[in-house]
Formats: sequence, C-alpha cells, structure tokens
Amino acid sequence: MSNREPSKTDVLQGTLDLMVLQTLDTLGALHGYAIAARLEQVSNGALQLNMGTLYPALMRLEQRGLLRGAWGTTEANRKARFYALTAAGRRQLAKEKQAWDRMAGIIQALLHGPA
Amino acid sequence: MVRHDPQGHMRILREWVVRLWGTLTRRRLEDDLKEELRLHAELAVEEARRRGLAPDAAARTAAVAAGSQMHAMDALRDQRGLPWLDALGRDVRFAWRQIRRNPVFSLIAIATLALGIGVNTAMFSAVDAVLIRPLPYADAGDLVMVWDDNSRVGDSDRFFSTPAEWSEWRRHNTVFTDMAASQPGDAALSGDGEPEELPARKVTGNFWSVLGARPLLGRVFTEEEDARGNRVVVISHGLWLRRFGAAPDAVGRTITLNDKPYEVVGVMPREFYFMPARDIDVWMPTSFPPEMLRHWGWHDVHIVARLKPSVTIEQAGEEMAALSLRLSAENLMMPRSAAVTPLREELAGKTYTSLIVLLAATAAVLLIACVNLANLLMARGTSRRREITVRAAIGAGRRRLITQFLIESLVLSALGALAGLVIAVPVMRFLETLVPETMAAVRLTLDWRMLAFCAAVALAAALTFGLVPAVSGSRIALHEGLRDGGRGSSGPRSHRFQHSLIVLETALAVALLAVGGLLLQTFQHLRQLDLGIRGDRVLTLVTPLFRYPEFDRRVAFVNAQLEQIRAVPGVVSAGAISRVPLTVNDQATFYRLASQTRAEARDQVALSRVVTSGYFPTLGAQLREGRFFGTSDRYSDAPAAIVNESFADRHFPGRSPLGERFQFGTFGPKAYWYTIVGVAKEIRDRGVAEELRPTIYRVHEQADQSWDQPSGIVIRTSVEPAAIVAAVRHAIWSVDKNQPVARVQTIDDIVTRQLSVPSQNTMLLGAFALLALLLASLGLYGVLSYAVTQRTNEIGVRMALGADSADIMHVFTRRGLALTLAGLGVGAAVALIAARLMTTLFYGFRPDYLLAAGTASLLLLAVATLACAIPARRASRIDPLIALQHE
Repeated sequence: MSNREPSKTDVLQGTLDLMVLQTLDTLGALHGYAIAARLEQVSNGALQLNMGTLYPALMRLEQRGLLRGAWGTTEANRKARFYALTAAGRRQLAKEKQAWDRMAGIIQALLHGPA
Repeated sequence: MVRHDPQGHMRILREWVVRLWGTLTRRRLEDDLKEELRLHAELAVEEARRRGLAPDAAARTAAVAAGSQMHAMDALRDQRGLPWLDALGRDVRFAWRQIRRNPVFSLIAIATLALGIGVNTAMFSAVDAVLIRPLPYADAGDLVMVWDDNSRVGDSDRFFSTPAEWSEWRRHNTVFTDMAASQPGDAALSGDGEPEELPARKVTGNFWSVLGARPLLGRVFTEEEDARGNRVVVISHGLWLRRFGAAPDAVGRTITLNDKPYEVVGVMPREFYFMPARDIDVWMPTSFPPEMLRHWGWHDVHIVARLKPSVTIEQAGEEMAALSLRLSAENLMMPRSAAVTPLREELAGKTYTSLIVLLAATAAVLLIACVNLANLLMARGTSRRREITVRAAIGAGRRRLITQFLIESLVLSALGALAGLVIAVPVMRFLETLVPETMAAVRLTLDWRMLAFCAAVALAAALTFGLVPAVSGSRIALHEGLRDGGRGSSGPRSHRFQHSLIVLETALAVALLAVGGLLLQTFQHLRQLDLGIRGDRVLTLVTPLFRYPEFDRRVAFVNAQLEQIRAVPGVVSAGAISRVPLTVNDQATFYRLASQTRAEARDQVALSRVVTSGYFPTLGAQLREGRFFGTSDRYSDAPAAIVNESFADRHFPGRSPLGERFQFGTFGPKAYWYTIVGVAKEIRDRGVAEELRPTIYRVHEQADQSWDQPSGIVIRTSVEPAAIVAAVRHAIWSVDKNQPVARVQTIDDIVTRQLSVPSQNTMLLGAFALLALLLASLGLYGVLSYAVTQRTNEIGVRMALGADSADIMHVFTRRGLALTLAGLGVGAAVALIAARLMTTLFYGFRPDYLLAAGTASLLLLAVATLACAIPARRASRIDPLIALQHE
C-alpha cells in the first residue's frame, strides 16, 4: 500500500507542481526528460528529480486536467511523450503563482521585517 | 496550503474519478508507461556519455536509471489507479479462486447462507410490513386504543367499551387531545342491481381528526353532522372503484343504504383502513341516540384516542383506569377499570408475537449456519497453514492476512445473499397471508429496504463466521514458521472456541425444536377441539334486519323466511341467531341472579345471544341438562333462557341451575326475570381458538327487551351447501324481495380460515426447527470428524501405549456427548423463556413444556450420538502404525 507518505511530500508535490507548470508555460510542450533537465539547469544542479517523483507528478497533473500528454517526436527523431499546459493548467498556474508570491512576501516580512 | 477554492476540489475529484477509471480499465497501458520511462533512462545515459564520463561510470548511471525505472513504474501504477481498490480487487479474485478450488465446501457454505439469509430477508419483509412501516394515520405513534378492563371478574382483560363511557371519558380525561369511537354498522346497499350488504362501521364525527386521516376526494363528515343525525357517508377506495367506476362526481351522489338515502361526502384513499377489518367499505356517523349515551351496559364500541404531547402511554393508562373506576362507581356500576394499548399492537394482534417468534427462529437458523461455517473455516484454516505460512514469509502482514480471510468470507456471504434473494421471493408470497385482517393487505416485495437488510445480514454473517477463523488463521503464520507438518492442533484456544460453537448450535437447535413442539401441540389441540357442534354441511349467511325495526314484524319475518328456507330441497333444518357462530362477537351485557344483591351483581357480564328454536338442533348442539327452546316458548313476561356450561359452572358449581332466575341487560322493575330451562354444552361460538365465556341464550319470540336481532342464519343441508345457495336466496326473497343476503359461508370455511394462522405458524416454525436440527447435526458431525483427523497422531500414540479401540471410541464419544448435553441444558432454558414470551400463540392452551423439550432433547441426542459415533468408530479403527506416521 502506498500513497500514505508523510506530509513532507505534500509540500514538495505542491512546489513541484508549480515548477512543472511554470516550466511548461515558459518553454511550451516538453517531454519528461526535458522538464527534469530544465529544472536541473535552472537550479544549477540542486534539483535532481528522479523518475519516481517526476512521472507520477506528471500523471497526477494530467489526471487533474492541468496538462495534456501526447506522443510526438523529439528533434533527434525519437518517440517521446510531450506534455503541454491546458487552459485550466494556465489558470491554475496563475493562481498558484499568486499564492506563492503572497506566501513568500509573508515569510520575507516575517524573517527580515517589513520592506 | 491555502486551498479553499471549489475548482481545486473539483480537480481532485476529477483526479479520483480518472484513477477509479484507471483501476477498472487499466487505462494507459503498462507498455506505454514503460516506453516513456525507457526514453528518460536512455536520454540520461546519453547525457552522461556526452559529458564524457568514463564508460563504467556511464554504465553505473544506466544501472541506477534502470533501477529507478522499476521504482517509478510502481509509483506510476499507484498513481494510475487506486491502489487499495486494486488490492481489494486482487483479494476478491484470490477469494474467488479459493472458492472455486473447494467447490464442495463452497457450495455447502453458499447454500446454507442462502437459506439463512433468504429466509431472514423474507421474514423481515413481513415484520417490516406489519410492525415497522408507517400506518395510514398522522403521527400514528401517538394513537392508542382504550378498553374496558374486566380482568377483576375473571373475564379477559379487554372488553369493548360502551358509548356512554366514550362520552364521559372524552369529557373528563386530561391525557388525550381527543377520543373517537366506532361501532359495528349495517349498510345494505340497494337501488340498482341485487341488494348488497357492505361491510360498514359507524364512527363518531371526530374519528377523522383523531386519526389524522384525510379523504382522497370530497370531505369527511363533521361532529355536527354526527350529532344532528345527518345521513352522510364516507366510502372506501375499493367501493368507489367497484360501484362508482372511480367517477370523480361520486361525491355528492345519493345512495340507498338500509332503505334510506345517504349522501356520499367523501372517498378515502386506497391505503386507509381501520380496526376491526381492512375491508370496511362504508363509514357512517354513529349518531348515538341519547339513551345509548346513558347506557353503561352496551359494550360494542372501539375507542381510539390520541395522546397529548408529553403524555406517555403508561400515564394515560393510569389516569384512564382511575377515571373509569370513579365514573363507573358514580353510574351505579361496580367500579371497573380501563386499559390503554398502542394502536399498532392492536392492529397487529397475535401476528405481533408470531412474527417476532418467527424472526427469532430464522435468526437462530442463520446463526447455526454461521456457526457451522465458522467451524469449517477454522478447520480449513488449519489445513491451509502451509499456504498461509508461505504468504506470511513473502511479506504479507498479519492485517493483510486477516483482510484476505475476511474478504473470502465476504465473497461467500455475498454469493449466499444473492442466492438467498432467489429463495426469499417465494417465501414472501407465503408470508403475505400472515398479515392480519385488521391491516391493509400487502404485497411483499424486494424493495431497497429489503436489499439493504439482506446486505446487512450478509455482512453481519460474514463477520460472525469469518472473524475468529481469520484471526486464528493469521496467528498460525506467527508461530508456526515454515516448520513442516499439517498435524497438531491449533492450540487449546481454538478447541475451546469450537466447543463453545457446538454448545451454541445444539442449544439453538433444541430451543427451536422445543418451541416448535409447543406450537405443534397447540395446533393439534386446536384442531381436535370440540366445537360443540357438528360443523359439516352447515351453511351460514347474514340477513340484516334493519327493515324490521318493530319487534312483532321482525319475529314474523324471521319465522317466515326460515320456513321458506326449510322448504328448499336439500335443506334438513334451519335456524337463526343474533351472530353467526365462530365469528368474534363480544356483545356482552350485565345480569343479576335472583339470589344476588345488586352490589354483588354489578360487575358480571355474560355474552348475549338471541336464537330461534331451530338454532340448536340445526347446529347439532348438545344439552347437559334441561331442554332447548321449543314452539311452546311464546311471547311472555316470564321468558325462558338457556345458559352455557361456563355460566352454569360460574354460579352453580356442582349443582343444577335449572329453575334459577336472573335479570339481564336492565335491572329496573320492568325488567324480565328469565328462568333457566336448559344448560347447553359449550359451543365455541366466539371463534375456534377463543376462550369460552359465560353465555345466555334467549329465544327471539321472547327477546323484546334485547337489542340483539337474529340476523345470522344457519342451515343444515343433505347436499353440498354450495349447491343450494341460490335457492336459499330466492326463498328469502320470496318473503321480502328487498332483503339483503350477505356473507354466505359454511362452518367448515370459517374453521379452516381460523386455523390457518396457527397452522402457518406451526408449519413455518416447524420447518425452521428441522432446518436447525439438520444444520446442527451436520455441524456436530463436521467438528468431531475433523477432530479425529487432527488427532490421528495422538490416537496412534495412545493405541501404541495400550489403549484399545473401545477406549478410543469412549474418549471421542464422551467429548461429543458432553458438549451436546451442555447445549441441551442451555437450549431447554432458552425454550422455557421463549415459551413464557409467546403464550398468546398458545390460544389459552397450556402445551406440555416437558414433553416438547424432552422430545426435542432426545431427538437431538440421538442425532448427536450418531454424529459422534461415526467419527469415533473411525478413530478406534485406526492402525497405530499408520497413525504414528500420519502427518
């Protein structure tokens, strides 16, 4: 039985969702490896997603209707599954970005005093 | 996380729906997912290579990637579907395989469960219809009936009340919002077609508001109309369909009832009914004449009342008893009490008890079935120990194992329930006839309530027979390890459990058998009861005499019609009585013997019957002493009376009452003094199964001081009674062509109908008891023979140490019989308690408890001996050499 992991993963999942959505919004449709590579690159190698984390997250976002996945071909002419934001995904991204900014603002104010 | 947007919830819902779908359809196939992950791994390895890592490092990266591929696959599978649902599905499929692997065990289990669950479901549908479903009145829980309570004079506790009591109680009580009364009524419909006698009831104007009953069409009549004596009626839905073709303008029409015009003011809905029978077609106002409201001796009204909020039925009972005692003392009567009973109980009558008893019996049968299954599962758990141990070894936790076992039980139970529904339907058809005549007829159906009940019973059964075997089965895995060997016992704990199961099922079986025996005795007693008459070839019918209100004309008409009936070919003799025999008719009146003071006499009642002189000979009644009425009993102010044996024994035990005199009905100076001229042997004229009551018969030529009219005709025939019905009708109509003729039936019909309820009870309970006996013996046999197999090794040791086969036989038989005896003791005690609670089903008869319990015990003991002896014999024949090697 699974899916009963502690809440730490929940938080991670939340941020991971946000990161995936933002990546796809910036770069357009990508396959899984490209998403992971992009996140690794952006974080200067600090964020190394393994498959067991990334792919279930993609599947979950797809199940929630935020992403749409479809098979296509890479530049190297390889068959790969590409993920793109749906309209709902874009709305959700906007909402989560806002929430994140607000939360970040609160934490910022808390840690360093009001700006 | 800040999550309070409905959209977010919708998305999560969507995810779960997709996942549920994923579980059911495996959408996105494995290959698809694997392909995606493979690409990822390949790209990772390529990337590593491109960065110029050493080949072995690149290989390591590839290996890690491959490893995480497997891991990710698992995570994806979990995300794709609902893992617990998947697991459940696997468990169910596994259980199904187990069930198919042991077809004999499974079939037995499913069949027993089907019987148990099916019968319980059907029984519950009857209980639901009679005892649970809402009655067709507003807040029916607050409705009660109020009765005269004559228990102090040795009569049955409850008695119809009088109109005077209704009026006074209604005025003085503080516990009811209102009280209504209803009285037997005649409604002979004439006008178009043959005259028809409709079942009718007179009710007070507030009857409708007390019940909270509304008409389907039109209105109900009011208290003012009742008081003014307006001729208005409310008709039943059935009559509306039958006589008015459901015409919407039936309301407002005028019909002729009892030769008088009545206006139809309302039609009741189909569901409406009220005491005493479901088939009342006409409700008319009582319009009690003033003298009836002053008459404290005329017991023929049902009183229904509505409790005030916050008044309990006990409080109402106390107040009404006190009120009745006070009022009856003031009104020159010996104080008499009153009783208050819930309406629902009155409507259900004896059915109440019999349904509860039968439901308990079916529950016991199901429990026995569960006990057997628990035993079988325990046994199987032991024989499956190797499989269980293996599964525990490869990582199945204890909880997992218990879940798995329970799911097996649930699957069995669910299959049993499905088969049970098939059994339930025909049983329901049979049970429909148990619904008492006081309530609306029902069609028992498998509605959602029944299905829910069935599911609940199946779940409860699965837990009952599955839980202990599951827990003990999972325990095996804990301490056995992979140590080889299917032998040995699973410890004293499970022995004790199995032993208590045997005691339990023996107890239940013997209790059911004993109670069944009690009912059987009662039924036989009822069947062999001397009715006091020769009932074969006696036709009865009712000729309401409302057209003959004057005494002289009535006497003349009755005699004339009887004469015409006697002239019909095939008629041997004919007579008349105020109520057809064997039908409940409790009109009772006060009387005073010449030797009694008024104070002594005030509390005693006797049933009143007015007959023609042909009545007793026609029925074949017997005399104890004296004479029957004859042609010499003409109109006189010194009339004759015949009393029954109950009356004679009440007042003149051991001596002859002939020549004794009494007053009846009224005690004034003008009241007749009746002289007892004969003592008739008991006639069960209140109904086959009813108690006898003191009864006074008067001849109709002398009964001008009675309100009883000889409207019930009895005819003895030399041919099949049905053959002369038409001729009899015409004989009556030759005297008065407008005379209604109603309720034509033979005495045999009446007897059969009255015995149908006790015979059904006996049959059902008997069937359940036999089922219980069968299941219990199978259970006993199963457990003991299993014990022999389990202990083969031990037997070998014993025999090797010098025990002979007789010893072994002895050991095994003794164990089994000791358990059986313990069960018999418990069961006998249970039966004794049950017998106490179901006395109403014995119809006043005292069945022999010792005989019933003794027979049941002997029967079960015999079966148990056999069930013990066969395995014990097998044990005693075991070859010690083989036994010692037995694993």
